[in-house]
Amino acid sequence: MPSAPCPTPKIMISLQNIEKVYRTSTIETLALNNINLDIKKGEFVSIMGPSGCGKSTLLNVMGLLDEPSSGTVQLDGQPVMKYTDKELAKLRNQKIGFIFQSFHLINDLTVLDNVEIPLLYRSTNGKPRQEYAKEALAKVGLSNRMKHFPKQLSGGQKQRVAIARAIVGNPDIILADEPTGNLDSAMGNEIMTILQDLNKEGATIVMVTHDEQMAKRTHRLIRLFDGTQVL
Amino acid sequence: MISHLLKLIWNKKKAHALLIVEIWASFMVLFGLATLIVVNVRNYREPMGFTYENVWAVGLKSNQDTVAIAEKLQRVTQRLKAYPEVESVSRMSSNFPFSANTMNNGIEYNKRKVMADFYATDENFAKTLDIAVTEGKWYQYADSVGKYTPLVINQKVKEELFENENPLGKIIGEKFKVVGVVNTFKSKGEFMSDKPAVFELFKPDATWNDTVLVKVKPGTDAVFEAKLVKEIAAMMTGWNVEVDYLTDSRKNQHNLVLVPIIIALIVSSFLLINVALGLFGVLNLSIAKRRGEIGLRRALGATGNGISTQFIGEIWVLATFALLIGLLFAAQFPLLNVFDVKSGTYVTAILIAMLIIYGIVTLCAFFPSRQAAGIQPATALHEE
Repeated sequence: MPSAPCPTPKIMISLQNIEKVYRTSTIETLALNNINLDIKKGEFVSIMGPSGCGKSTLLNVMGLLDEPSSGTVQLDGQPVMKYTDKELAKLRNQKIGFIFQSFHLINDLTVLDNVEIPLLYRSTNGKPRQEYAKEALAKVGLSNRMKHFPKQLSGGQKQRVAIARAIVGNPDIILADEPTGNLDSAMGNEIMTILQDLNKEGATIVMVTHDEQMAKRTHRLIRLFDGTQVL
Repeated sequence: MISHLLKLIWNKKKAHALLIVEIWASFMVLFGLATLIVVNVRNYREPMGFTYENVWAVGLKSNQDTVAIAEKLQRVTQRLKAYPEVESVSRMSSNFPFSANTMNNGIEYNKRKVMADFYATDENFAKTLDIAVTEGKWYQYADSVGKYTPLVINQKVKEELFENENPLGKIIGEKFKVVGVVNTFKSKGEFMSDKPAVFELFKPDATWNDTVLVKVKPGTDAVFEAKLVKEIAAMMTGWNVEVDYLTDSRKNQHNLVLVPIIIALIVSSFLLINVALGLFGVLNLSIAKRRGEIGLRRALGATGNGISTQFIGEIWVLATFALLIGLLFAAQFPLLNVFDVKSGTYVTAILIAMLIIYGIVTLCAFFPSRQAAGIQPATALHEE
């Protein structure tokens, strides 16, 4: 009996003719130039390029943190260009998890409280919120550090907390901006393994990196140069 | 979200300690000022109990003259009554309405004691000042027969000495017999609290009740005053004659109350402006230092308005911490009945002070929080 044809995975992020121009009174900088990109559901994509080539800008546009000067962005099939601030915030909260190079943990909150933040903006009640946060921390192996403050953690642990925060709301997409950039190679490998595991569980991941070895562990590599996609 | 804000502020309590002390101190100052204002507003709203328009207080000082004082005072009173411009005349002790003089004494009935203001007056006092008698009648010289001096009390004395008993005909201190009750009598003006007061009929031959209240017809002017002073001075050689318009004396009494309040208001306003500027600066600095956090929260799902609300919420939580400490202090005033002020007055003052504090912190947080709401998340995250 012939096997059923494999269904085409749906497009999770679609960028069409994206341009991003930064203007000041004296200078105009083209950060992204005619980017056309489709990222499928379940894909693990890495973005590489020299400093200032527009990697983070591209990630910000995908993450609805920055508006392109022209072009269209679709997330999970939804065109988001005319969304209000409230709608964009809701979409970011429900569809996207962010991981940053410098972790962006709030030092005055415990690890558990930091992980709970995305759920606060979903108005999840206290008890289930804590349960979900504990589950996410267990997933990254930090159950024993819940009451610690970020200052009491190593760089790798901080990044694992950031990953727990990114996945606590069970988002479809994880956007990671140089997640291993501030870590040594052992810690970096550890974080990369966690991201690969999340990808295997179904998360679509887009990662900006400077590290060729890390990029090789992803499904697809996109190279940028001076705001233009070269690969 | 509230528990999140509480945690955030609680975990930063050391960093916020000075701010909390500043808000607490402002609350205590406002509480004191609000108490002063509430007390005076409440007093002002209570009726004074008499009218003062067109009433003059004519002070007669005998100086070295010691001969037939009582007769001379009676003669002056009779002369004053004879003027067509005069409606009513009453002699009384020197503590006439709005004067700086006070006379008080303890009175006792059935082991209940009250400290009351004493006014020695004649039978025309109620008529001259339009005092309404609510029970019994105002005394007359005909009531003076027998061993008891007729006495009119105010409602406050009635409540404190007699509670539910009918005071009329009751003997106080083996000397006085109550013949009437009036409502309030606030001799120092509208801002005076309603205190116990009694009016005692002095004997016609008394020599020390040397103030004459003269109620003149509306429109009577200074020409008549000059004529009156000249004639009395001619009748009473060597005596001093001084005329006080009760309307002017009332203004003086008002100034005694209002000037300290206005000074306190100005000082407090400067303090509050300083606190507000300090808060504004601290919040601005805090937003500048927390741009990364603002960017993060936007990335995690906060809207611009959500960020703004968070910053206002944080300052409210901070203010609430300070106010809770302040309440511990302020609550002692009604609980210990400090300054004999009603509990309701303190509670109103606490609420007013809290309202002003919340208003100030909201105002101070509003512009910085709107600024925070406008921060572009991508820029803020990149800066970090």
